[in-house]
Amino acid sequence: MATTNTHYAPSVCFEHVQVHLGGRDILKDICAQAPAGGSTVLVGPNGAGKTTLLMCLLGEQRYAGHIAFSDGKRLPRTAYVPQLLSLDRGLPLRVDEFLTLHRQHRPLWFGMRATAVRDAMHLLSLVRAEHLASRRMGDLSGGELRRVLLASALGRDPELLILDEPEAGVDVRGERLFWELLDAARSARGFTQIMVSHNLPLVAHYATHVICINKTVCASGAPRATLTSRLLMQLFGVPIHLYPDQCDPSAPGCPMCGAINDMAEAQGCTLSTALTQQSIGHATAQHVREEEGGHA
Amino acid sequence: MPDFSPVYDLIALIPLDCLQAHFMQQALLGLLLLAPMASVLGVEVINFRMAFFSDAIGHAAFAGVALGLLLAVPPRISMPLFGVLVGLGIVAVRRKSSLSADTVIGIAFSAVVAFGLAVVSRAEGVARDMQRFLYGDILTITEGEIAFLLVLFVVLLLFQIVGYNRLLLIALNPVMARSHGIRVALWQYVFAGLLALVVMFSVWAVGVLLVTAMLIVPAATARNLAHSAGGMFWWALLVGLSSAFAGLVLSAQEWLSTSSGATVILVACCWFALSLAAPRDAARHA
Repeated sequence: MATTNTHYAPSVCFEHVQVHLGGRDILKDICAQAPAGGSTVLVGPNGAGKTTLLMCLLGEQRYAGHIAFSDGKRLPRTAYVPQLLSLDRGLPLRVDEFLTLHRQHRPLWFGMRATAVRDAMHLLSLVRAEHLASRRMGDLSGGELRRVLLASALGRDPELLILDEPEAGVDVRGERLFWELLDAARSARGFTQIMVSHNLPLVAHYATHVICINKTVCASGAPRATLTSRLLMQLFGVPIHLYPDQCDPSAPGCPMCGAINDMAEAQGCTLSTALTQQSIGHATAQHVREEEGGHA
Repeated sequence: MPDFSPVYDLIALIPLDCLQAHFMQQALLGLLLLAPMASVLGVEVINFRMAFFSDAIGHAAFAGVALGLLLAVPPRISMPLFGVLVGLGIVAVRRKSSLSADTVIGIAFSAVVAFGLAVVSRAEGVARDMQRFLYGDILTITEGEIAFLLVLFVVLLLFQIVGYNRLLLIALNPVMARSHGIRVALWQYVFAGLLALVVMFSVWAVGVLLVTAMLIVPAATARNLAHSAGGMFWWALLVGLSSAFAGLVLSAQEWLSTSSGATVILVACCWFALSLAAPRDAARHA
């Protein structure tokens, strides 16, 4: 399996993408760009159309408008990490079998090829999951399953990696580890990554580009410049404070957070909420790093 | 028409009195071709959660017989054709409609049964076909049907060689499967068509009441016994084949004298009961 730095990574340009379903606008005039080789995260509330936009990109959803790739002549090799598999615990599918499913033409009932098993183990090592090889898929924890799904997607050697809330339902530590592995894989292989995520502290930490969506594009750009408390208030309707230095002490409400007006007064200082959220993100990051350092 | 007599001679070597009769040799050969197909497809039926789908196709056999009566086509031809048509129709509606799979299958199920009942209620002299539809009748299988089963067997073997991994990926997540370059729609249609054909033959073997069991029981047993997805295939095959053989032979014993289809399923269910006692893979890793 080749892991190269001279990988082609496309930029993705959404041009006036619209989806209209059952008399409702799901997406309205989406114009945004995901830079080549970057980690672009779609941010927005539930029902904002983030997953629909990913489905448009994957060719699963009909849309009006155009999605252009920087190499216009061909579609990039794409891999997709879903949120979940329709997997029940009784299915005796082993992790190494799952990873060889698309890596060998030979049916699984003829056994796994030695090269496919080697590749599977290599992929598992990329997501620090070698120890899971002989486990049943149905017995994995949420975090373990997402890492195996990431390994499977990396096995495609993607030029464009699409992830739909891959860390949903995973504990803080697992979530942090997932992002770190994803970031390492992207740095090593240089693919373009587009994902949906609700973990704003981790988005702020890892994303190189964000597109804020609520049916239409509210803002896009570098996370620090885009994820302002004002925009997050507009998107989610609750005070979220990701960057303390972006606060506007002169604004009414919380003296440290310009996002809140009436709600701040009603609830008292919301800074604690905001800072707690942020500190959880960073504390977890720190913690995971330390632990990993310990293991290494 | 191929000559199966060497196979019958081989079966006659088995030291069991009941297998010396020609119709029993034919029945055994038919079952030994059908059981592995049903068992292996059953693995995928379980993965796709399509037990209800196969039940609906089974019931389409009834409407297939009725349609044969209406159009003066032999039921042996109208049944499988109609079954395949209904199977592909259900897949098409499921893909296009936002209704849940259960609802779509439920509607198709009701429509084909109602249609069959309506036609049969007007016609006379269909009691023979009706009984066959309900209870199955593997003992009257013809050489032509065995030849067709043989062709279907080869097709299905190729399908399982090329498609086993792909179908498993599709069952796990169709969007992910497509992103791996698998033509999901094509595989779903081919799977539904082949499944419909095997279900139709299974209706002849064990009757509509037990057709789902023919698919599900060996695969469910295999799930309990296998430690890998590859192993599940072989366990399903083993359970399906051994149940077919033991069921047919047992049903022909004078002290039992039961319907062959029902006996085959009962043996498979015994396998399943035993499989429940097997140690779980998860427990070993815990």
